[in-house]
Amino acid sequence: MRTSLFLASALSLAACTALTPLAYAQVASEHTSSIPGDTPQESGPSLNTTFNAPSPYAPQAPGVNAANLPDDPSMDPATVPTMVPQQSAAPAAEDWSAYGHDDDASRYSPLAQITPANVGQLQRAFIYHTGSKPAPGQANKWAAETTPIKVGDGLYMCSAMNDMMKLDPATGREIWRFNVGEKFQSIPYTAACKSVVYYTSSTIPEGQPCHNRIVEATLDERLISVDADTGQACKAFGFNGQINLMQGMGESVPGFVSETAPPPIVNGVIVTNQEVLDGQRRWAPSGVIRGYDAESGKFLWAWDVNRPNDHSQPAPGQHYSRGTPNSWAAMTGDNALGLVYVPTGNSAADYYSALRTPEENAVSSSIVAIDVKTGSPRWVFQTVHKDVWDYDIGSQVTKFDFPSEHGPVPALIVPTKRGQTFVLDRATGKPLLPVEERPAPAGNIPNDPRAPTQPWSTGMPRLGFPDLKESDMWGMSPIDQLFCRIKFRRARYQGEFTAPGVDKPSIEYPGYNGGSDWGSMAYDAKTGILIANWNNTPMYDQLVTRRHADKLGMRPIDSPYFNAKSGGAEGNGAQADTPYGIVVTPFWDQFTGMMCNKPPYGAITAIDMHTRKVLWQTPLGTARANGPFGLPTYLPLKIGTPNNGGPIITAGGLVFVAAATDNQIRAIDMKTGKTVWSDVLPGGGQATPMTYEYKGRQYLAIMAGGHHFMMTPVTDDLVVYALPQTAH
Amino acid sequence: MSNMRWPSRPGDWCAVVLGGVITLLGLPMVILGADLISLGGSWYYTLCGLVVVIAGILILLGRTLGAAAYLLAWLGTAIWSFWEVGFDGWGLLPRLFGPSILAILVLFIIPTLKKRDLTRTAPNATSQSGAAF
Repeated sequence: MRTSLFLASALSLAACTALTPLAYAQVASEHTSSIPGDTPQESGPSLNTTFNAPSPYAPQAPGVNAANLPDDPSMDPATVPTMVPQQSAAPAAEDWSAYGHDDDASRYSPLAQITPANVGQLQRAFIYHTGSKPAPGQANKWAAETTPIKVGDGLYMCSAMNDMMKLDPATGREIWRFNVGEKFQSIPYTAACKSVVYYTSSTIPEGQPCHNRIVEATLDERLISVDADTGQACKAFGFNGQINLMQGMGESVPGFVSETAPPPIVNGVIVTNQEVLDGQRRWAPSGVIRGYDAESGKFLWAWDVNRPNDHSQPAPGQHYSRGTPNSWAAMTGDNALGLVYVPTGNSAADYYSALRTPEENAVSSSIVAIDVKTGSPRWVFQTVHKDVWDYDIGSQVTKFDFPSEHGPVPALIVPTKRGQTFVLDRATGKPLLPVEERPAPAGNIPNDPRAPTQPWSTGMPRLGFPDLKESDMWGMSPIDQLFCRIKFRRARYQGEFTAPGVDKPSIEYPGYNGGSDWGSMAYDAKTGILIANWNNTPMYDQLVTRRHADKLGMRPIDSPYFNAKSGGAEGNGAQADTPYGIVVTPFWDQFTGMMCNKPPYGAITAIDMHTRKVLWQTPLGTARANGPFGLPTYLPLKIGTPNNGGPIITAGGLVFVAAATDNQIRAIDMKTGKTVWSDVLPGGGQATPMTYEYKGRQYLAIMAGGHHFMMTPVTDDLVVYALPQTAH
Repeated sequence: MSNMRWPSRPGDWCAVVLGGVITLLGLPMVILGADLISLGGSWYYTLCGLVVVIAGILILLGRTLGAAAYLLAWLGTAIWSFWEVGFDGWGLLPRLFGPSILAILVLFIIPTLKKRDLTRTAPNATSQSGAAF
C-alpha cells in the first residue's frame, strides 16, 4: 500500500494535466464563449449594446481633476530663470539624488563599504511602512515600484498612491508626510510611484521655504511641489503647490491618464509625460509631452505629435490631439544639450495601425530628443516601425561616454523590450554602433500593411534567445509539453515581427514584457560595464472582430459597460474606434500556469562596453516561490523568473537586484556574476534598489511593494539593510 | 479465461493503479499527438503514446509484458530526448523526469507482475513468464 500512496502523490500533478487539456484553442474563436485561463465575464445589459464613444470635447468625468484646480497660465519659455546647479548633476558620494542615482541615470553609486567579502553580514536596519496597500475588499492594483532618493539628511520617497515623505536615513522615522488624498478610482492599471525629484530653486535663496523642493507627478494627473525640509506645499508653485495636468486633455475618466515616473527637470523646465491606459480606444487622451517652469509651475510648451507647429495650450473647449503615442517611462534630462530624452510608446490601440497619422508613425516606439526651450524635437530614433506589438519603450535611457576609437562620445544607452540595445549619439540621435534594417514579415489585416523592415542593433549583444522552435516548448511532463507544442503549431509564427491577425493566434516573442522594461540598466563608467536584467516571456496575441469583442465584454474604460476584467493595460483590450479588439495572454499552459517556452524566463547580463562582449550572463530568480498551479516549490532551482525592477552597481564591486518573482533581493559579484548574498523580502521586490551612506554607514534600500500582475505579495514595506555597526 | 485471477494482494492493487494511471497518461499523448501530427509537428507523442497505452493496459491486467513495453517506451523517449535537445537540462526535464519516475515504479512492480504471471500459468507451466524478461 505504501507503493500506491507514493504513486498517487507522485503522479497527482501529471494526472491533473492529463485530465484537463481538452480546450487547447487558447485564444477565443467564434465558437468559444470565453478565453481559457482568463475568463472575461460578459458585461452590459445586452450583447448588441454598442459603445458610443463620448465626444473628445465632452467634459471630463468628476474626479479626473482631483484637486479641482483652476487652469494654469502660460509663460514664455525664454523667460525661465537660469537653473542653479542641481544635486543630481554631481551627487555627493553618500547620496542617491535622483531616481537613476544622478542626471545620467547611471544607477551607479561610488560607495564601497559593502563588498563581496562582507555583504554576507548585511542585516535589516529598519522597515518603513508607506501606508499604501489594498484595503480589505479592494481590488489589488498595487505595485509600488518605488526607488527612494537620498539627499543630505533625508531619504525622500512616495507611496504607491503618491503621498510623499521624508525619512531619517538611519532609522526610517518619518520626518514629514505630505498626503495627496488620491482616490482608488484614479489608479490606472497599477498604483505605482517610481520616485520623486529633488530640486533646488533658482530664485528662492537658501534658508527660505521651498529653496529645496520635492517634486512629483501623480496618478490623478497633478504636478506637486513641496518644501524638502518641512513637506509644506510651495505656495508660489501653481495653485498652492499643485497644477492640473488634465488641462487640455479633453474627455477622460479617472484612471485613463496617469503618471508613475518622476518628471525630470532640465534647465529649469519640469518635463511631464503620461501613461494613457493601453488598449482602450483609438481616440484615447493625448500622449502630449509638456514643459512647466520649475519655479512657478506655469505652462511653457507642449509637444503634441499631430499639432507639430503649435506648442501652446489648447484654447478652452479644445484639446491636445487624441490617441497619439504616449510615453510612460522615466525620461532623462540633458542640461548641457538642453534636451530631454523621451522614450515613447505606441499610438492608442496598440495592435492596429491603420488609423495612425504619418506624424505618429514617425515617432512611436522611439527615443525623441526634445529641446526644452521650444518643445520641438531635435532628433528621433525609432526602435520599431509601425508597432503593433506593444513594444513601447519602458526603460529610462542612460547617458554615458561611449568609448569609441576616437575617444569618448556623449552617448545614450537605449534598452528596449525587444532585447535590442541601441547606442546613440546624444547630439544627433545617430547610432554609434551598427543598426541593420532587416526584412520583416507582412501582416494580413486589410489596409494595415506592416513595415517592410525593422531595425536590429547588431553591434550589441542581444538580451534574448533565437526564435522559438517546436522543440523549445516546455512543461512539467510530456503531456503539458505536448499541449504547448500544439499551441505553438496552431499559432502563426514567422519570427520576431509576426503580425497579429484575426484568423489565428500569433506568437509575440520576445513579447511586450520581454527584454528590458522599466527597470532600465546600470552603467559603471569606471570599468565600462553595463548591467541589464531582462525577461524571456513570449505572448499569444489575436485580434478579434468588433462583434466578437463585444461578445467577450471588451469595452473601453470610459464606456458605462467597462469591465476591468475584460481589458486593462496589459492583455486584452477593446481597442474601440477600430475594427478589432485584442486578446493577449502569456504564451503559457493556462491550466498549470507555466510558460510554454523553456526556462530561463529572466536573466541578468554584464556587458563590457569597450568590447561589447558579454562578461557573464546568468538566470535571475529561483523557483522557490513559483511553480505549477501557482504553488511555491521552495526549490532553490535557478530557473530564471520574469523580473521587473532594475539593477544597481556599487563601487564595492557588487550588483544589487531584486526584480525576480522569487521575492528575494540579491548581491551579485560584479566580477563573476555569482550571487554572494540574498535575502527573502516580505513582499515582491519589483522595484529598483538604491544605496546611500549616512553618518558613516552604507545602507541598501528596496521597496518590497510586490506587483499585482506578476502575482507577488503586495506590501507597503521599504526594507533597508546595513552592515552590523561593528563590522566596518 | 479460467486462468484469469482478480488481484488479491496489496501489490496486485498497486499494479492495477499504476497500469490505470499509465493508460490515462498515454491516452492524451495518442489523441493530442494526432492533433500535433495534423499540424505538421512531431510524431513522437502519438507513437510513444500508443506503446504507453498498451503497456498500461497490460500492467492493469497483471502482465509482465506490460512492464517491458513501458520500459521500451521509456528507452525510446530517452533516445528521442537526447536527439531533440541534446544535454540541455531544462529541455530534458519535461521529457524525462515524469517518465523516469513512472519507469522506477514499473521496475518496483515487476516482481508482483511476475508472480501474477506465474499464478496465471501455474496450472500448466512454471517458467513461461520469465521469458518476458
